Amino acid sequence: MSNRAALLVLVVAMLGTYAFRAGLILLLADRSLPVTVERALQNVGPAVLAALTVNLAVGGDGGTSVDIDAIELASLGIAAVVGLRTKNLVFMLIAGMATLLILTEIF
Amino acid sequence: MTDAIPLLIPAIPFGFVLGLAMTKSEMPLWAAWLTSPLVFAGAAQLTMVTIAGTASLWAIISAILVINSRHVMYSAALAPMFRAQPKWFRWVGPFMLIDQVFALAMLRSDQEPDSFRRYYLTTMLLFAATWNVAVPLGMLIGPVIPEAWRLDFAPVIMFAGLALFAIKRMPAGIAALIGGFVSLFAAGLSDRLGILVGAVSGVIAGAIAEQRMTTLKTRSAAVQ
Repeated sequence: MSNRAALLVLVVAMLGTYAFRAGLILLLADRSLPVTVERALQNVGPAVLAALTVNLAVGGDGGTSVDIDAIELASLGIAAVVGLRTKNLVFMLIAGMATLLILTEIF
Repeated sequence: MTDAIPLLIPAIPFGFVLGLAMTKSEMPLWAAWLTSPLVFAGAAQLTMVTIAGTASLWAIISAILVINSRHVMYSAALAPMFRAQPKWFRWVGPFMLIDQVFALAMLRSDQEPDSFRRYYLTTMLLFAATWNVAVPLGMLIGPVIPEAWRLDFAPVIMFAGLALFAIKRMPAGIAALIGGFVSLFAAGLSDRLGILVGAVSGVIAGAIAEQRMTTLKTRSAAVQ
């Protein structure tokens, strides 16, 4: 990625994020968002984060076919179980990475 | 301040992993580093640095904007509290309106404007300081960590966790499930377009589920 491209991404990300955060605080006087819009926004996070997880895990940058191996899948599974049980991102990360390293060592 | 700590602690390893990811990124280091003080949005930053180089510019930009569009919801929810605030604060406050600051600010929504502002400012500065120490620390240590430690996989787990914890209601769970599935089948698309295709399908599925639930509810209410 060139310097110029990086600068563009940086500036757009900064301005766009600020606009999302400030927009309604500055504009929304005594009104509120329609319930359907608000509900839909609540679902954006889970949808996009799940899509990101899968896309990064299988290396979805086109051309290549799905290339997640059994060890990675198992690590992700263990991480998810720990995450659901503890509700703690740090424990989840440690469990997932530990599984990955131990299984890689064994097989 | 004490209620910020449980939310502050997980931000440290997250920032650290982000810093590590920056050193492995195709994005120039200076730009990756600047995302911390300027964009200040963990999930979007991690996305930026992990897909830079394998996705086109517009694909990166649209992914970031989709991820951060959830902040519109925060902005709407906080608007009533900001109405009574001075103008400078209405402009400055939103700059650091991250997930955690939003969650904490909502707890204080019934406070006097002055103490609300003090609380909000303390919280946001606390998070900004933590973040801007944790990320550079990861960037410093990143280059000396061996490949065999597989840190390339850490962001995947991170995103899985964020997705998991973002699910608070059933329709959100459906949105995540469909988003994940569709992006699996769309993984072959170039430019990491699979992310956007998955996300949009997930949001639509969530909205449909929402509608079904409301209809069912009104129906059962009518029966009673």
